[in-house]
Amino acid sequence: MNSKLKKYYPLLPVCVAYLILFLVGRNVTGIWQLVSTLLFYCALGQAFNIFLGMTGYVDFGYVAFLGVGTYGMATAVTGLAGYEGLGVGVIVIGFALAVIMATLLSMAVGAVALRLRGAYFAIATIGVNEGFRYLIEGANLWNGSSGMIFTAELNQILGRDLAGRVMTFWADILVLIIGVAAAVVTLLYMNSKIGYALTALREDEDAAKVMGIHVTKFKIIAFITSASFAGMVGAASWALKTPYVFPPEVFEIHYTIEAIIIVMLGGAGTLMGPLVGALIYGVSKYYLSIFLPGFQLFIFALVIIVIIVLFPEGVVGVLKGKTRNNRLKQLIL
Amino acid sequence: MIFEQLMGNIVQGLILGAVYGMATMGLSLIFGVLKVVNVGHGAFIMVGAFITLFFFNTLGLNPLLAIPVAFAVGLAIGLLFYHTAIKRLLNAPELATLLATFSAGVLLEESIKLIFGSEFRGYNWDIGNIDLGFTALPVSKLYACLGSVLIALLLYIWFNRTRAGTAMRSVVEDSEGARVCGVNVQGAYAMSFAIGIGLTVASGVLLTMFIPVGINPYMGGGYTLKAFVIAVLGGLASPYGAFFGGLVFGFIENTSYTLFALLPGVEPFALTRFLSFMILLIILLIRPTGIIKAK
Amino acid sequence: MSLLRLENVTKQFGGLVAVNNVSFEIKEGEFLGIVGTNGSGKTTLFNVINGVFFPEQGRVFFNDMDITRTPSYKRAPLGIGRTFQIPRPFASATVRENIAVGAMFGTMGKQLNVDQSLEVADHVIERMGLGKHRLKSAGLLTPVEKKLMEIGRALAMRPRLLLMDEAMAGMHPNDIDDMVEMIISIGKEENIAIVAMVEHIMRAVVGMAEKLIVLDQGEKIVDAPTDEALADSRVVDAYLGKSGETKDA
Repeated sequence: MNSKLKKYYPLLPVCVAYLILFLVGRNVTGIWQLVSTLLFYCALGQAFNIFLGMTGYVDFGYVAFLGVGTYGMATAVTGLAGYEGLGVGVIVIGFALAVIMATLLSMAVGAVALRLRGAYFAIATIGVNEGFRYLIEGANLWNGSSGMIFTAELNQILGRDLAGRVMTFWADILVLIIGVAAAVVTLLYMNSKIGYALTALREDEDAAKVMGIHVTKFKIIAFITSASFAGMVGAASWALKTPYVFPPEVFEIHYTIEAIIIVMLGGAGTLMGPLVGALIYGVSKYYLSIFLPGFQLFIFALVIIVIIVLFPEGVVGVLKGKTRNNRLKQLIL
Repeated sequence: MIFEQLMGNIVQGLILGAVYGMATMGLSLIFGVLKVVNVGHGAFIMVGAFITLFFFNTLGLNPLLAIPVAFAVGLAIGLLFYHTAIKRLLNAPELATLLATFSAGVLLEESIKLIFGSEFRGYNWDIGNIDLGFTALPVSKLYACLGSVLIALLLYIWFNRTRAGTAMRSVVEDSEGARVCGVNVQGAYAMSFAIGIGLTVASGVLLTMFIPVGINPYMGGGYTLKAFVIAVLGGLASPYGAFFGGLVFGFIENTSYTLFALLPGVEPFALTRFLSFMILLIILLIRPTGIIKAK
Repeated sequence: MSLLRLENVTKQFGGLVAVNNVSFEIKEGEFLGIVGTNGSGKTTLFNVINGVFFPEQGRVFFNDMDITRTPSYKRAPLGIGRTFQIPRPFASATVRENIAVGAMFGTMGKQLNVDQSLEVADHVIERMGLGKHRLKSAGLLTPVEKKLMEIGRALAMRPRLLLMDEAMAGMHPNDIDDMVEMIISIGKEENIAIVAMVEHIMRAVVGMAEKLIVLDQGEKIVDAPTDEALADSRVVDAYLGKSGETKDA
């Protein structure tokens, strides 16, 4: 029993970090905007880590899942605005739709791309966000390039007061919950056969196959899980916080870059990594935008190269190595 | 009418295709020799475009003169990047080089943005048209096409007629065997990487003849995608395959644009870009065995 | 009854015939040695047996089941385990986790949960004498330790057939003796058929093998009980006579 429980100790620092973030945000005036951004980065990193970190595969089109998640929520809100009395139920349906759409897209992409190895996978994904964006624009899906604005529908469904609270507060709390949920799922995977299979295939895919691991199956599990969390992040952080969606914005490769920075900075494949990466990235980006505006990405691109060359295991990876024979070690995963 | 338009598309497509092909040779060369995918490919093309702008707008020189300079700049960037990062990552998991080249691309984009700003720019090098009856061909584009063919030929000669080129080919065939036969594999890696980047930056000069006002620090992303489509069309590890892949792709792109324009209610530009992505997926889907070489 | 049976297997790469029309069989619990120089097609043969490559011609049977086109990840649960010429540990995972992966996806994979698999791993670690490296990252082991770990990982699968690719290369002769002895005793205890592939006629391996197969340029030239095989003039020519010295023998 005790050892069963011990497996979940690493969640403790994760929850404490989120709690501190929340309390700081509530009690320090004028800081909620920053906290909200940090929560977004945490959830984004935690979701992306399930794929990039655990499989070692790079999905350059990852932002597409946030994009379709945003469209999922947008579709639910605009489509159901006319039905009286659904209220918050619409939001629930929106999340379900976001997850379904992200899952379907990840299955379509995964069916092709996950049969390919390493570099070829990356090549196949690099156009997913652009491809999907141009499909929406080109074939005039969801209003094509004019996008969708659904503030009015959101007001209609939730009432003006609640809709306002959702945009400024509850959406962020939902992002927080999604981030924690992604961390819990990460840990569950790590403690299950899925985690062992993913570690094996990340380290040596051929050897993993010979050991009896159906590598494609496990890659798809990680891919779909990661994509559905991304869909939820898109639905909460983009659709609910700012109730409009334009294809060039939600399929912008910039967000994939940020996700990569966060995961690699913190430590790919670790539980705490994305959180640590997100906090470092978010806070330093915030201050850089004040003191060195315009230089943020320049600096982070350099940082990423340095990390990949010198510390490929990231901050948490380095810490993990240092605490190996220490009581702290069971808290760091 | 449609027929004439299509004829025009074919000619324009092949001319653009030759340049596309040349713009992909560097990618294929680097993959062929080092097994590294340069995910930041488009950003290197963008650097070439900015060098051209500088030549034409600031110095008032003929843009074609920018080609050797762009190649030299590319060589320098390639060597620097190889020795600081790529060299140390060749034995690391694939993820490392993918993310490193990707970040290098971002770094270049951001550097250029900080120096020149992010607005769209262009230049106007009007040196007349050749009228073919069904289409008018700007002479500048013709130069770009001829330049591409010439560079491809030079690369071919260099590969097949020089010692260094032969050494590099032997590394592509069998790096272990080449090592045993006394080829300086490390040197061949560095040289291929530098030449690959040099070719890519130089191709940026030629591509500017086709985009009068489309030069911007973030213009590269689209070219990265196109280069991947072209590279898998022609076989990812073969620079000459890439050249012919470019011809095919230029033709497909130009023709499909015309055909999509006939459909009501769609945006042909966006659909053409979607199509190029679909081509990529389809090739990877139907020919994964042909493309992934079993060890 | 034969455990593994190959019938006229041919595998080509481009124009190169790596394995040419090879047939043989292994009985349960048997210890078979395959001898062949570098490039004789040994590794390719292993890759055909455990499904990394499918042969162009011929068929592979395991327990009388045709597995010619069964993907490799489905062969492990049937009971085919393997070690590699150059060890391939899952470097970032600990020795314990590496070996547990074997248990998790091997023949007992369906019955064992993660904790039980880790218990199996602990038993194997003890048996292999890897106790003090239990929680070390596999990537940090010495080459010999990596080999031991890899054998342990394969044994944790509870295989019926264990394919060992040059398992002893680069080891000290005394270590080889100990290891071969240990592997054979485990093999006998658990009724595992073992195919050991070696480049030279090594005393340790050949001495213990019940049967010897000699490969030369993709073809099987000898397939006989060990003493007969060693007396065969072709073997003498290839391994003993011509080189003028008896490597490892």
